[in-house]
Amino acid sequence: MKDFQIEQESRGAIQLIRLHGSLDMYSFPRLESQLQALFQQGHNSIMLDCSKLDYIGSAGLGALIGFAKQARDRNGDLKLFRVPDRIYKVIELLGFTKVLQVYDNEETALASFQKP
Amino acid sequence: MDGITKGISVNTTGTDVHVRIVGRGTFQNGQPLRRCAMEMLERGCSQIFVDLGQCQGMDSTFLGVLAGIGLRLAQGGKGGKVHVINVSARNVELLQTLGLDRLFDVNFIGRDQTGHAFPEESSFQMLPDSDLMETAKGLNKFDTANFMLEAHGNLIKADPRNAPKFQDLTKFLRDKVGDQPPSQNPHS
Repeated sequence: MKDFQIEQESRGAIQLIRLHGSLDMYSFPRLESQLQALFQQGHNSIMLDCSKLDYIGSAGLGALIGFAKQARDRNGDLKLFRVPDRIYKVIELLGFTKVLQVYDNEETALASFQKP
Repeated sequence: MDGITKGISVNTTGTDVHVRIVGRGTFQNGQPLRRCAMEMLERGCSQIFVDLGQCQGMDSTFLGVLAGIGLRLAQGGKGGKVHVINVSARNVELLQTLGLDRLFDVNFIGRDQTGHAFPEESSFQMLPDSDLMETAKGLNKFDTANFMLEAHGNLIKADPRNAPKFQDLTKFLRDKVGDQPPSQNPHS
């Protein structure tokens, strides 16, 4: 099992977080802290690169819904891109695609923030 | 762990049920475990031994299934209990985070205090649909949402401090369950 790692970059006003490894109940508090810190700093537009994510648990997905709602309440959003098929099937099965926007790649995710 | 068959296997000996989890325990393979455990409890089984020695991790839904078994045994008033053995430090932390260490008898790796001998591996039977690679395609959206809602409800019953941790997820699932008709397939 790979250790969970987070990398953060900026794309102008958009914050890009790259996730590596397994996002489970054990590792989720690290992402939670990072997202809360971003909100506190006024960064409400966030996209998550999930291409190196090999697992995400049900509680982690549920919490992402909460963060997406918080971001929207602050006129931002939380979007996912390059989600591996195996994980996308889980997101779809749980019906989370109604709440979490998922994009094919970084460019389309970034462009979606610019749309009115 | 590559090359080893992942999934959940079960052995029943008298009123003891032995469960071995290889790989991850998740919302996907929690449903067959729930079905099997409820059947065993109906038959009068009262001691559930869960070997987590080869378990890479559990999601909250799976832990909610175990919590549901533990709660039902506790309510039975016959001294029934869930014993988790060979628990790694990581899994202990998960159990403690959710307050399940107070519901289960928790035994660390190498420090099994149950004094209970696990039956031979060959006497275990793999639960159908417990291999994660095979399960996702057979799941129904409504039933999965309902199942997850029940599992998280168990976690909240086991420790009310869990309620805020899962409030976004449970609200979403409640809305989803309210939106859709149940499946006609009782096994989905």
